[in-house]
Amino acid sequence: MLDSLQPLVFGMLALIIFISAAFITFSRNLIYSAFALLGSFTGVAGLFAMLGADFLAVVQLLVYIGGIMVLYLFAVLMTSGIGDVRLTNRSIAVKIALPLALVLFFSLGKLIFETEWFAQQTVKIAPTTAAIGDLLLTKYLLPFELVSVLLLSTLIGSVALARQELRNSKENHD
Amino acid sequence: MQVLDNAASFQYFLPEAILGLTLLLILILDLNKELSKSRLIAPWTAGVGLVLYIVVALALRVQLPEAITFHGMMANDAFTDFFRVFSGASALLAIFLSMHSKELEGVKIEYWILILGITLGMPVLAGANNLLMIYLAMEMVSILSYIIVGYLKKSRKSSEAALKYVLYGATASGIMIYGLSIIFGVSGTLDVLEIQKFLVNNPVGTGRIALFVGLVMTLAGFGYKISAVPFHMWAPDVYQGAPTPVTAFLSVGPKAAGFAILLRFTYTALAQFNPETGIFTPLKYLDITGLMAVLAVLTMTVGNFLAIQQNNTKRFLAYSSIAHAGYMLIAAATLSSLALQGVLFYLIAYFIMNMGAFAVAIIVINATGSEELTAFKGLAKRSGGGALIALLMMVFMVSLVGLPPTFGFVGKFYLFMSVIQAKLYWLAVIGMLNSVVSLYYYMRVVKHMYFDEPEDDKSLGLKGFVFPGVVASLGLATVVLGVYWGPIVTFVQESAQLISK
Repeated sequence: MLDSLQPLVFGMLALIIFISAAFITFSRNLIYSAFALLGSFTGVAGLFAMLGADFLAVVQLLVYIGGIMVLYLFAVLMTSGIGDVRLTNRSIAVKIALPLALVLFFSLGKLIFETEWFAQQTVKIAPTTAAIGDLLLTKYLLPFELVSVLLLSTLIGSVALARQELRNSKENHD
Repeated sequence: MQVLDNAASFQYFLPEAILGLTLLLILILDLNKELSKSRLIAPWTAGVGLVLYIVVALALRVQLPEAITFHGMMANDAFTDFFRVFSGASALLAIFLSMHSKELEGVKIEYWILILGITLGMPVLAGANNLLMIYLAMEMVSILSYIIVGYLKKSRKSSEAALKYVLYGATASGIMIYGLSIIFGVSGTLDVLEIQKFLVNNPVGTGRIALFVGLVMTLAGFGYKISAVPFHMWAPDVYQGAPTPVTAFLSVGPKAAGFAILLRFTYTALAQFNPETGIFTPLKYLDITGLMAVLAVLTMTVGNFLAIQQNNTKRFLAYSSIAHAGYMLIAAATLSSLALQGVLFYLIAYFIMNMGAFAVAIIVINATGSEELTAFKGLAKRSGGGALIALLMMVFMVSLVGLPPTFGFVGKFYLFMSVIQAKLYWLAVIGMLNSVVSLYYYMRVVKHMYFDEPEDDKSLGLKGFVFPGVVASLGLATVVLGVYWGPIVTFVQESAQLISK
């Protein structure tokens, strides 16, 4: 019963992700794009849940939809003049890009269906949080620590970029 | 090879821990109001930290046996140690150049922290033994580079360059991680050495087409980092827009780190090493050496021919650095211990001569305020040290062409020798023809300096002995190592040791 439902659920999630991704790309309005991102994130959370990665699904919901989405919306709303972006370069060469993209799409599709993938034999649906916590502090300790240094430096860097702007605009006001 | 756990691995990570602590120390020192007023505290702390980093790395190289550390995340071998020293030295010189560049006057502590962050990422990239680590270290180097490229917020060019860099970089890393996911999907492991085991024990080639596609996508990510054609489009704009010391750093440090991971991946995951004969054999059904050779030829030819038309100093050096990536790629396409040594040797030569050329460019840009190549006109006749600086620039240019008696010549000699030994004569011939093309545009700078009249009578205004002294010692090193390169060969031979099983 569950096995026969799986392709159906996957198809629906994939459709949600695909449609929202297309909307993000082709919408001219950044606010609409940001909202369409919501659909894409939710779809990915659904995929995680379907694969039995309960922790990742919840994190995806909390961090991406709860945090990052809101941040995006704020950034879009608070940046002036972002709604009417004038494109100075419209030459995206649709005539070349579209056939190439289609060829890539179909050849990757063929590849995915014809390859013998390494398959995990038994997928147990069980809570993963404890195992993830264990692994983060044992096998994946180094990447974990490295990410923290990366995030710290990125934070410092983005503060540096944003802070200068504030100072410049203050000088302009004076 | 023994795989160490976290506690046993920590001693191997001591140098990087020092870098991380230096980074934090700069932040903490800045909290003090008195200390934060001084512009010199942060770069000097960073400099001392980097010297300590290099010393500890060199000491560990002798003290500790090679090992796979952190549950298989890192491979700590002589090759990684080489790139530790290399990254540390390039960051040290970049900090020195930044302190003497007018463009970067009054930078805040964040700038030095970002340089240290990139430097922390580079050796980790060079030693990454896990696809996750490869991706993470690559992002660490890239994301922080985007920020320092756009650091000059008032300069429109700098911001534009940063934006272009982000867009190209995001695309390249997206393609790379898709490729890595395909490799993982077929082999079922993230560990590079396990992947090699899988590939060797898989003679029928299960999923070979998928593996090949994944590999090409991964190579696109590496190729972007070393600015190999056709992934080079970002380089000229980014190199032009970034502050000049940052350009000098990007063209040496992160590029070398990109080469490091490219070499590690091709020499460990995609080859079989026979320790008795010292011969690397490519995997039968996944032989990418031909593809790499084509990339190498494209890279150096495009780099050299486009460099001819450039009138901006930084763009010119950008195309020159693309061409040099091409020379180093021909050895990466050869797959032999000699080629591996050749690339490491050439990286050292490239480090010295390229940093030297950028240092002179900074002096000229500081004095004239112009980034055009015409600013070099009559450099030898300018007051304030023009004759010395022009002479040094000539040494760097001659070395970049690869003429004797310079270090660049010896480097190219080793590279082409490894190619000839592998019987890839056509590659060596194309490489040499390309050097002839490069002669034209490098010598144009020399002609500007010696045979043209200066367009204005600005003095170079070099103060003190420190900056000219460092540039002069780079020039001296270029000449001396071009005559007596024995110690470098020994160092490189010891360094070209990869853990491959």
